[in-house]
Amino acid sequence: MKQIKHFIGLELKAGLKRRMALIMLIFTLFAILLPVGTAVPEDSENNLTISKDGFFDGIITYLKNLYPGAERELQTSETISKAAIEDVQQSADSGRVVLKIATPSVVKSASLIGDSNLGIFAHLSNPPLMKMDSEGRLVGQLAESYNVSENNTCWTFYLKDDLYWSDGEKVTPQDVEFSIRYYGKKTPWAGWINETLESSTISEADNSVTFKFNKPYTRVNMEFVTYNILPAHIWETIENPMEYLNNGPYVGCGPYYLKMIDLNAGKLIFEKNPYWKGKVSEFENVEVHLYSNVDVATLALKNGDVDTYYKYAGSYPYSGIEQLEKTGDFDFLEKTDIGLVFLSPNLKKAPFSDPGFREALTYAINYEEIARLETLGYGEVPNRGFVPPAMENFKETEKLEYSPEKAIETLEKAGYSDSNGNGVLEGKDRKDIKLEILIRSEYARTGELLEEYFERIGLSVDLKTVDADTWVTLKDSYDYDLTVTRSTPGVCLCTQVGEAAILIPDGQARE
Amino acid sequence: MLEIAKKVTRYFASFMLITAINFTLPRLMPGDPVKNLIGEDAYVSEKVTEELRAELGLNMSLSEQFTSYLSSLLHLDLGYSYHLHAPVAEVLLNKMGWTLLFVGISVVIGSFLGVFLGALAGWKPERKASRFTSFAFVVISCIPPYFLALLTLYIFAFKLGLFPSKGFYDTPEIGSVLYHLFLPTCVMSVFSASRNFLVMRGSVIQEKEQLYALYARAKGLHDTGILFRHIVKNASLPIITLLALDFGFLLSGALFIEIVFSLNGMGLLIYDAIMGKDYPLLQGAFLVIAFTALLTNMLADLLYALIDPRARRPA
Repeated sequence: MKQIKHFIGLELKAGLKRRMALIMLIFTLFAILLPVGTAVPEDSENNLTISKDGFFDGIITYLKNLYPGAERELQTSETISKAAIEDVQQSADSGRVVLKIATPSVVKSASLIGDSNLGIFAHLSNPPLMKMDSEGRLVGQLAESYNVSENNTCWTFYLKDDLYWSDGEKVTPQDVEFSIRYYGKKTPWAGWINETLESSTISEADNSVTFKFNKPYTRVNMEFVTYNILPAHIWETIENPMEYLNNGPYVGCGPYYLKMIDLNAGKLIFEKNPYWKGKVSEFENVEVHLYSNVDVATLALKNGDVDTYYKYAGSYPYSGIEQLEKTGDFDFLEKTDIGLVFLSPNLKKAPFSDPGFREALTYAINYEEIARLETLGYGEVPNRGFVPPAMENFKETEKLEYSPEKAIETLEKAGYSDSNGNGVLEGKDRKDIKLEILIRSEYARTGELLEEYFERIGLSVDLKTVDADTWVTLKDSYDYDLTVTRSTPGVCLCTQVGEAAILIPDGQARE
Repeated sequence: MLEIAKKVTRYFASFMLITAINFTLPRLMPGDPVKNLIGEDAYVSEKVTEELRAELGLNMSLSEQFTSYLSSLLHLDLGYSYHLHAPVAEVLLNKMGWTLLFVGISVVIGSFLGVFLGALAGWKPERKASRFTSFAFVVISCIPPYFLALLTLYIFAFKLGLFPSKGFYDTPEIGSVLYHLFLPTCVMSVFSASRNFLVMRGSVIQEKEQLYALYARAKGLHDTGILFRHIVKNASLPIITLLALDFGFLLSGALFIEIVFSLNGMGLLIYDAIMGKDYPLLQGAFLVIAFTALLTNMLADLLYALIDPRARRPA
């Protein structure tokens, strides 16, 4: 007892001690749970039924508070309105035809402009001016047509005249002008607009908007494939769009508008735009289901929980195709992926600054093996040239060839030989060539294959596998000899990495 | 009282050290948060990049950033998330709530189940049931969590169609939440139970050989009485340590479970913050986890002293 006194200054019986231990355990649990449970004002409305009192009342209150409540002042913008939820429940009950899309491109924040994945899905509700059609051509989306001045500084977009916002307002050239200028001023990734846009003019007569840039710009039509058009009458009051969080609904002008974002349920819900005058879809709602795991997304598709699968500029996982085929429930359509994977040499330093060396290395790569191993046979040996077959302006050139003998012969002709007989070719400075290949972790296997191919022709390779961020840092400081990376049609990456590139087999998308 | 004051001082010093490490660690990671924020797909001029850097306060020297961080902390401001476009405290509060819900329940269930079954298995290890449960829990503890979660999901959600495959709910109702969290909670409970089971079993095997157990038997106490009134009390000391560690784990979430079940919780939040170099979010998340871990360890110390007289004896 003396010792107990020493600890807490009280005499405790054994039973009391046990009870205290239990109370401490329970207290610990509730001390952790309490802050969240008390975070919402008591008078908050809720979407969950709350009983008057008792232990379960506490649990219910806790669950209620987890749900982004309407009254939490800080989270007002994240609120999912009760009406929206009831609407969605009614839609589900009424048996409306719903298209469910599974995607591994998870939306992390309910910021239409700040979240890149949400921006991609919002093409459905807030379509950009332009789009890429199924043949890879750039065509108008909200724009009926467009033209560009001879010196590539003036771009005029003529809008379709049957476009309406989901609140009944007509889509005007002012909306387009506002959206483009808004992006330029308010977002870092569109800062180029703010820096280069000299003026913009609107013509009500021909429903057009003209952008005049202070320097020639040849790919504005491509850039405007990604900028969602916003209703000026809604967004002009929002000072900081990057930080504007809203779980919907958002006013849209596409065939659908974004009705609700519910990240805890892992879904986005689009509903038909009642003022849409274009081709009418048979689906009343489109639901985008967000899966953090590709395997689960493919299982959901196979199981019929969702109707289709989408990944931006990427293919359905090759390993899952056979399983889908076995179900007999799917029709398959193969199209070449518009995303491209390529090898990019560092032209700023030897030996890749030498065209002869680069030419030799094109023969060293076993493209068929890469296609077999990386894309499970769904890829094909690429052509010379950077533009992939799925895109406009693709030129049919000769296929890249795998021939280690030719590679060695070309290297010899270009002046690379193993004069000291140690098995490693020497550069023009007479030192052994050691290529530093910079690989992002997702291309680790490709990197290992390249290492094997290059060593086969007498080159020593140092494979450096890094995370995406480190890759960007090293790439920007030109701290590599060769790198493997991926690009999508709208990216300027190739100009940053280097002017020369060797495509490597990328797969084909199956829908 | 002096002992308690010493402990509190020690924990406070630990907390201050952790605060400094929290600030330093994210900045030691390779990569630039500004470039990450802009994305590699966009080309922006150096001017815009520098403006953004200044806006985020990353143009200041490290010492200035640290001073600013401490000053914000003293004002109970955890900062603003670069990628989630919301105050860190608000983001953490929301995610913590969900994570606590399923991980907290799992830890509690796993503790009781592990302690109870572990005690029984350790008391009579030669019985068939004991050998079977031991084998089962050893197997479970050896399976990677990701695999077991995926297997469970495949069987119960996709093959049998009994449970949903993703999210905290379909519609925000209690029934839906419980239905969605049942499977991840079960998987985590089994994992937690397997760890506690193995510790408890070993501990009981050791304790039952002690003289006090023999004395209790000599007094005529029946098996259940000896096990649950005397042995479990002494054998549960390592479990308290394990529980204290689990509470730290509780807030960091269960990344693999969250990935498999597409749960928008703390684990994924921290993972995304690391990948996105979201310094304020990382600092905030680590700080909350560290604080909870310290708090629970402090409580474990107190519990030890309450349960075990040896811990109370002066050195």
